[in-house]
Order: sequence, then C-alpha cells, then structure tokens
Amino acid sequence: MSSGGDKNLLDIDAPKPFWMSSNSIKLLSGNSHPELAEKIARVLGLSLSKIGVYQYSNKETSVTIGESIRDEDVYIIQTGSGQQEINDFLMELLIMIHACKTASARRITAVIPNFPYARQDKKDKSRAPITAKLVANLLETAGCDHVITMDLHASQIQGFFHIPVDNLYAEPSALNYIKTTTDIENAILVSPDAGGAKRVASIADKLDLNFALIHKERQKANEISRMVLVGDVRGKSCILIDDMADTCGTLVKASDMLFDNGAKEVVALVTHGIFSGSAREKLKNSKLSRIVCTNTMPVDLQLDIFDQIDISPTLAEAIRRLHNGESVSYLFTHAPA
Amino acid sequence: MNNILVFGGSSHPSLVNEICANLGIKASETKLGKFSNGETSISIGESVREKDVYVIQSGCGHVNDNFMELLILLNACKTASASRVTAVMPYFCYSRQPDIPYTAKGAPLISKPKESYTFESFPGTPVPSVLTTLKPASPTGPDALNEVIEIQESTTQVLEQPTPRKLDDGDVHKSPSFSRIPMVPEGKDNSTEVGWLFNANNAGYKLWVAQSGTLIANLLTTAGADHVITMDLHDAQFQGFFDIPVDNLYCKPLAQNYIQYNIPDYKEAVIVSPDAGGAKRAASIADALELSFALIHKEKRSQLPKGPPDASLTSGGGASISNKPLISTPSSLALSSQDIKYSSSKYIQTTMLVGDVRNKTCIIVDDLVDTSYTITRAAKLLKDQGATKVYAMITHGVFSGDALNRVAQSAIDKIIVTNTVPQEKTVKYLGRDRVHVLDVSRIFGESIRRIHNGESISMLFEYGW
Repeated sequence: MSSGGDKNLLDIDAPKPFWMSSNSIKLLSGNSHPELAEKIARVLGLSLSKIGVYQYSNKETSVTIGESIRDEDVYIIQTGSGQQEINDFLMELLIMIHACKTASARRITAVIPNFPYARQDKKDKSRAPITAKLVANLLETAGCDHVITMDLHASQIQGFFHIPVDNLYAEPSALNYIKTTTDIENAILVSPDAGGAKRVASIADKLDLNFALIHKERQKANEISRMVLVGDVRGKSCILIDDMADTCGTLVKASDMLFDNGAKEVVALVTHGIFSGSAREKLKNSKLSRIVCTNTMPVDLQLDIFDQIDISPTLAEAIRRLHNGESVSYLFTHAPA
Repeated sequence: MNNILVFGGSSHPSLVNEICANLGIKASETKLGKFSNGETSISIGESVREKDVYVIQSGCGHVNDNFMELLILLNACKTASASRVTAVMPYFCYSRQPDIPYTAKGAPLISKPKESYTFESFPGTPVPSVLTTLKPASPTGPDALNEVIEIQESTTQVLEQPTPRKLDDGDVHKSPSFSRIPMVPEGKDNSTEVGWLFNANNAGYKLWVAQSGTLIANLLTTAGADHVITMDLHDAQFQGFFDIPVDNLYCKPLAQNYIQYNIPDYKEAVIVSPDAGGAKRAASIADALELSFALIHKEKRSQLPKGPPDASLTSGGGASISNKPLISTPSSLALSSQDIKYSSSKYIQTTMLVGDVRNKTCIIVDDLVDTSYTITRAAKLLKDQGATKVYAMITHGVFSGDALNRVAQSAIDKIIVTNTVPQEKTVKYLGRDRVHVLDVSRIFGESIRRIHNGESISMLFEYGW
C-alpha cells in the first residue's frame, strides 16, 4: 500500500472508511501511559474504550470492562514503566488480556512500547532467571494473540514467543528528528557500547555519516568502569544513540569522554527513557547538550535539555495496518507523520 | 532431608524461617531485590539441580510485586534444572472472585481512618425485643425491613467516555506511596466520573469484571510450578483451576484446638458465620465441637418497579440494541454507546441473624479479613442481639486500608488470626490482649516434609499438627 493512501487515515476529520468502524476495533489503556494511549486513539480517530483498572485496598488489581468486546479486535496499550509499579502494570496487562479473552474478544493484541524485563533475556550466570522469556510465556498464557512492541533490547526476544511479535523501530522517527534539528554536515554518530553498534551503523548508513564507538568494560549491572573511544570526534557534534537510558551513567560518562576528546556538542538520542534512580541529577549536572527520547514511557524530567519524539503515529499506523491485515514492514523504514 | 531446598520470597521472611526451623533445615540463599528501574531482580545462591524445591511466598503486602517475585523464583529454579518446584502460598492472592464490581457493602474499599465508626449494617438490622428467627424480608414485609437503599440516584445521564486514569482526586483515595494507579473509589458515589463503571446496571451491557482466578493458576503453572500448597482457599473450587496438584491445608484443627483450650465455657459458645458464603466452613467447626451455630445473612434484592417495566431493565436494553445495522456504514461510526442511557434501580437490603446468641459467647469464623467491614458489622449485630463476648477466628488477616482501626473500635473482644500473613502490625496496633496469633508454620513444615517424602497429608486435614 502506498503512503499516499494513508494520508486520509491520519486526518481525524476525514470520513472514515467502513473498515475503520468502531464496532470492530477496541482500544484499551492501562494505567501505565494513558497519554500515549490517548494520542494513539486520536491518530486512529477512535476513542478509548471504557475500562476501569483499579487497585483494591489490599493492592490486588481489579479490571472492569465497561463495554462489550465480543468478537472485537482488541488492542491493549500498556508500557513497562514505573519504578514502583512496574509489576502492577504487568499484572494489569495480564488481567486485562485475560478479561478480554474470557469476554470473547476475537483477537487480543498487546501494544507494549517498552517491553518490561527485556534486559533479563539470558542466563548470564548460574541460575539467573530469564525473566523476558517468563513474561513472554505469561502474556501467552493470559491469552494474548499478538504483540506490538518497539526497539526490543534484543530482537531475539521475539523468539521467546509462540505468537507473532511486531518489533517496530523508532529509527525512522529518530532520523526525522536528527534531520530537522541538527547540523548534519558536521555530525558524527556515537554508540555508547559495542552492543549498540549495529543500531548506530544502520542510522549512520541512512544519513551517510561517520560513526564512532565507545567500548566499555562492565563489571556489574548499572555500573561501568573503563571506557575507550574508537573514532575521531574532534570538533564534531556527536549524537549518542542507544535503545534505553536508565540510570544514565553510561550516557553521562560517554558524553564526558566525548567532550574530553574534543567534541563540540553531544546530543543523546534514546528510544526508551526510563531515567530511574538519580538519572535526573546526573543529567542535570552533565555536560550533555540535549537528551532526547521517545514517548514509549511517561517521562517527567523537567530539564531544559530534554526533548521528546512522539512515536504514537508509528504505533497507531501499526495498529491500523494490523487490524486491516496489511504489511507493517513499511513502518520499519518510514515514519508516518 | 535430602535433596530438599526451601526458598523464601520477601513477603513473609519470619514464616519462612519458622517453617525451615520445623523442617530442621536452613532456608536456601537468595538475593531478592529490584533493579533501579523497578524490575524485580533475584539470584539463587545455591545449586538446585535435581533438587526438590519449595518456594514460600504469601500473597500479601504489595501483592503484584510479591507475585511476580514468586513467578520469577519458580521460573529460575525450573530453568536451573530443579526436579520439582512447589509454590507454597500460605495466603493465596486473588483468591476472591468478585462477580460484580465491589461496592460499599463488605467490599475491599479503602477509606481513610475515621475517628469513630458506626458498625451499623446498612440499613440497620431491626433488633427484635423477643428473639425470633427472622424470615427473609419480602417486598411486602414490615416496613422496618423494607428500607430502600437508593443504590443510584434516579437520574438518567448520557454516558461519558472517561479514560481510566482521569479521576477526580476528590473521593478517590490513592495509594499512599505512589499514585498512578487509582484505588477503587468509595461505592455509592456516582458523582465521580467512574460512577458509571461501578453501577452494575447500565442498560444493555453488564460490566465485565475480570475473574483473575484461572489466570493466576495458569500463570503459576506457566512459571514452572509443579505443585501448589496453600491454606484455606476462599473457594474450594479454586483447586479446579489448576492442572497441577494443589494441596489446600486447613486451619480448622488449629482453630478447634484454640477454642477448646482458650475460650472459657466454650461448650456454651455459638459459632457464627458472618456471611452465607462461609456457612459451610463455620458449620464444620461447630459440628466438630458440637456447638450451636448461627448465621448472619445479608440479603440484597432488587425491588420490582411498579407499573410497566422500564425499557432499560429488560434484557438487552431497549436503547442499546437500537437499529444499528449489522455492518456499520460510515455515517454511524460514532461510538453508539453515547445513545445508551442507564437508569436507576432500587435495592432492598436487610441483614439478619439466624440463630440465638442471647447471653452467649460468640465466635465469628471466617477465612479472610480484608477491610474488616463484614466482621465488624457482624460483631456489632451480635452484641446488639445480646451476645456477651465476641471472638473472631480468622485464617488470613490481610487488614488492608483502615481495617485495623475499624477492628480496634469494633465490638470484637478478641481476634484470633494465623500468621499466613505477617501479623506484627496487628499485634502492635491492637495489643496482645486482643490478638492471638496462631502459628501455621508447623502445618506447612509437616506438609512439606510429607510431600517431599511422598507420604499422605490427609491426616493434617483432620488433626492438624
């Protein structure tokens, strides 16, 4: 399908074609990121279904669905966020899926922009849990038929599922952002670790830019020790690219190192802005020129250097295409406006 | 005890230690914690290969966190080649299955601690001057029994389309430490945006309330549990949700024992079930001790409207089926729910005591105290009916919200509760005189020993340990 045909769909005021009728698709939102759910609904021209997701005083989760979803195509938007509530949100998602399943929904798709526990994806030491696999199994057990997610920490996580997983990329949106906000001529892309080299190389190819790499030796999770820069960044505007910013230790150290090596400015561009622990303080005291993340998670940083990329059009378009049985590969290279 | 390993979750470490002490082993080493982004992190300190592993986690405290921790522990043991993994859940979370949204009556709602409580059942139960067994109120019964509760104001209003989170702070009590998940609001409050949701009577569509029982069972199986040990499941049918063996232990022997040895003149006491659902549980204790039995019955029936039935009350709902074509045309795409009106309904509710408690010691028996609405109201009713002393015999004391405050001010003279859920706070709050904590670690320890050795555990059902 050509991109020209899609223009109409994203225009809320345009009359909706018959297959976008509201009685065949339902959007449900949990408590993790209602703003994103609303944005997606707005792009799709739908309203969110009435649903009550609450906590009883004994802290058990209660889900009540306020309208019929029998034989509907149900999309549940719930991201993995919240330092205190991440397990609550996961249980909410599981209970919502199960509730829809038992309420005879035709198909249930979990839209999980930031997949929780994605970093616990391997048995890196004896008896370590592979929680990402567990979460995949839990979702299937609850009755999930399809998963839409974004920039999985390791794309191999798709293999943990026995159901289809659409792993979308924030890359097209990030490319647009870079093109419109930075001086491309003088820019260089930097990967803060070897694991992200592939991601950065792919963006560098599309922008026809050079890229540098920081090699770090990690001894413990969330702690880094020694870093080595591979590449020349003198006088350049560096764009640090990573899939997530958690405690921001890596980003801040990387930016210090880039400045030490003569960088003119450093912009950090990440998909998932978790910003846990003392991330805000670290960023505030850092020399980073800008920190940019997408809205896969709610972010409350309140920093002048913070900027956000809206990826709700990508998710909305994926939902629309999935609902209509069209290919989503177009979204791997293009960002819908 | 060869090849047995017992791991404890973070919900109830003292019970874990006691169970291990009963087994004569040490709890195995685990590191439980959280990553900085809030994800649960665990690591297991010793080899579990080909071992018989027991993971003890109660469904209390921050339920979802503890439950995920349990799932991750089970999964880690399973993937680390344990020969058998057993989940020991002294209190089984999500075991109550609401079929209607919880409302003000006997529901786990949170409310702020108040200075004083009335403990009146709502509406008040008439106190007969001469004790008689009351018959259930009929719509034409005496006026006293016929108080009408306006469950909902009789206004018809167009359904709004609230998003789940946009709640007015006014009446919705948020959880204290973090507030992004709204609490279930107080019932009877239809002025808030969520009023429609907790009004089970919006025409045409009955609210679909998630029944998480099967889900929880399946999640445990998925995580790798081969066996589940729990105690006093709220519904005995819950065992049927599992495809793996579930051993449901009973607190009954302990309770009987306590009654026989600690309640003066227990032969004269009356066992009371605070609701019809627990009647069987209470009756079995009464039978075993040959005590008399009374039941508190709460009846809620909808009053039939006079005159021709309201269209919205007929099944399917007059407005909601409408003339919508099977395949919508572009012009009718707007959510049709805006046409759905919901209308009021009236309920008559009566609370009555079946049985004689005058001048007697009463022992309320229930499996679970959560918000404590049920037992505090029951205690008040019993005292009003002439009971001399009211004991409450509870298996799982969750005491959420302001429950402890309510119990402290209620007519309950003594509350007996087991340590399936940590009770340090209860003892501290109510004092040692008013609380007695029964220790279940011996039952759990013995059942683990028997299951490990492949012996029958039926004798634990009868005689306890």
